[in-house]
Amino acid sequence: MSAIPEPAQRLAPQARWAWRLSWAGGCLVTLVVFGTAGGDLPGPWYGIGMAALAVALVAGTVAVPELRWRRWRWEVREHEIDLQRGIVVVRRTLIPMARVQHVETERGLIGQALGLATVEIHTAAGSHAIPLLRDYDAGMMRARIAELARTDDG
Amino acid sequence: MASRLHPAAIAVYAVDALRQGAFPLLVILGVSVLGGDFDADAAIRAGMFALLGTAIAALAGGFRWATTTYSFAGETIRLRTGALSVKEVEIPFARVQAVDVEQGPIQRVFGVYKVEIQTGGGGSGGEIELGALDEREIEGLNRLLRRGAPEAALGEEHPPAPERRLSGRELAVAAVTSGQLGVLLPVAAGVAQMSQQLFEDPLEGERTLIGALPEGTLGWIVLVAGIVVLAWLLAALGTVVGFGGFAVRREGDELRIRRGVLQRRQATLRVVRVRAVRVVESPPRQLLGLASLRVEVIGHAKEQAAAQTLFPLLRREQVEPFLRELLPELADALDGLAAPPPRALRRYALPPLVGTIAIAGAAALAIGRLWPLAIAPLGAIYGALAYRAAGWRLERGRLAVRSRRLARSTVLAPAAGRESHDLAQTLLQRRARLADVAFAFGKGTVARIRHLDADVARGLWAAIGPR
Repeated sequence: MSAIPEPAQRLAPQARWAWRLSWAGGCLVTLVVFGTAGGDLPGPWYGIGMAALAVALVAGTVAVPELRWRRWRWEVREHEIDLQRGIVVVRRTLIPMARVQHVETERGLIGQALGLATVEIHTAAGSHAIPLLRDYDAGMMRARIAELARTDDG
Repeated sequence: MASRLHPAAIAVYAVDALRQGAFPLLVILGVSVLGGDFDADAAIRAGMFALLGTAIAALAGGFRWATTTYSFAGETIRLRTGALSVKEVEIPFARVQAVDVEQGPIQRVFGVYKVEIQTGGGGSGGEIELGALDEREIEGLNRLLRRGAPEAALGEEHPPAPERRLSGRELAVAAVTSGQLGVLLPVAAGVAQMSQQLFEDPLEGERTLIGALPEGTLGWIVLVAGIVVLAWLLAALGTVVGFGGFAVRREGDELRIRRGVLQRRQATLRVVRVRAVRVVESPPRQLLGLASLRVEVIGHAKEQAAAQTLFPLLRREQVEPFLRELLPELADALDGLAAPPPRALRRYALPPLVGTIAIAGAAALAIGRLWPLAIAPLGAIYGALAYRAAGWRLERGRLAVRSRRLARSTVLAPAAGRESHDLAQTLLQRRARLADVAFAFGKGTVARIRHLDADVARGLWAAIGPR
């Protein structure tokens, strides 16, 4: 019923691996910290902590990135940017081109390794990100949004 | 043609320098005084240091004044400051989003003002700061910026400008009702609970009273009550100092806001930059039928975090007439909003109820008594109030959204002025066919309405297209 069609573009397929890597990295750090500091914990707490960590590792590397990637959709149209994402909370955001102040692309460590970049769109009320696009696409998109935002000055 | 600031800037900059150097100076002073016995010698030495410091500061102030010039070239305002390291700032008139005029104590002595010129970008504080200008210079500056061209700076008659001042009585009421309720409520609740505990068990009489409570409970109560009163007095004092002499005037496409007792401030807002009006009714004010008005202004870096006060206190029914007179672009009725469906009520009530139950339970366990459980239902009451406050309206592009955190707040704005808008649905909401809609009007103003019927929410979200 909504007059605006749903966004159709997806993130780069490698995005799933970027999320997996960063999540696994986080788990590893937690494991090291917990393993060294948690040994003194009373009773079963050490075991419970370890089990929770294992569950988090499996869920965060197997299921969540896949779901997240499937849910993420975006579209850049002439007059607006349309984002839809989220597993537990499905959120759709519309940003009019006239409100875009500037656009950035950003590549983290993992992003560089996998050739992925995040596009950040700044408005006067805050910023929105389209994460982990292919490097080339992200650059194109930054240029395109900047171009559209300029011509559609509000 | 570059001009210097008013010579009073020397004093302003000197005090700045003194303030920056105050701490090391104090340390030196302290060491020199406390180092030996305190005698006439030490006092003279300390005096010398103070004199030297002042002289250096005066010199620094003079140097800064001598090396600071501003000018208007074509369509831009330019500031040049410094000699060893030169800083030049250039702002096109078109990029100027606000001109703030402030009068600190020193400026007041000389009858000059500090002017900050704000652009959309950058952090807090003006991108150009002029430490001392007199009224004539400020008038000239304002004229230039209004026209956008220096040539057109000739006088022009404005129709009589609508103005509204805060009366002494209004200021007093604003001060009395300004208590930081967020801080006061838990304290007040604690006091109420304790006194209840003290007096509610008449059967066992004094024995319980003395046996069950730690010694000095009465002292604690007095202390807490004292803190409450003190916090309330401080808030009231802050209101008087901040909002004394408050006046707002509409001049053409600008709003001029003057306020402050010790630190007189004047801010000029361009109406096109005002994206939303927020009508805030804190609980004590709501009981009295009063509200305060705030505006969300885009590109006003200094006030980014909190929207700016448009008027500190109004009768609720006066809000719409006030806006029609001073800000007709955003004026709208406060009432006649559509509520979320009745089935949303329990979704408003449940999360805070769970929160208060958890807190009450933990407190009861911790002290081994049952009375903290009495606060458990508060969450549900809060949730029900939030549900009753929630409402929205979209009519001819005008959006009105009301919600409650602690204070009830109504956002009035043209929908097209939003920076972005969201439609959100959790898994639980999906089962209940509910959804949230949120409109971001600026860093300080997000109008969110929770738990609308999903179809209504989708319709509302889609009704505000990209335009």
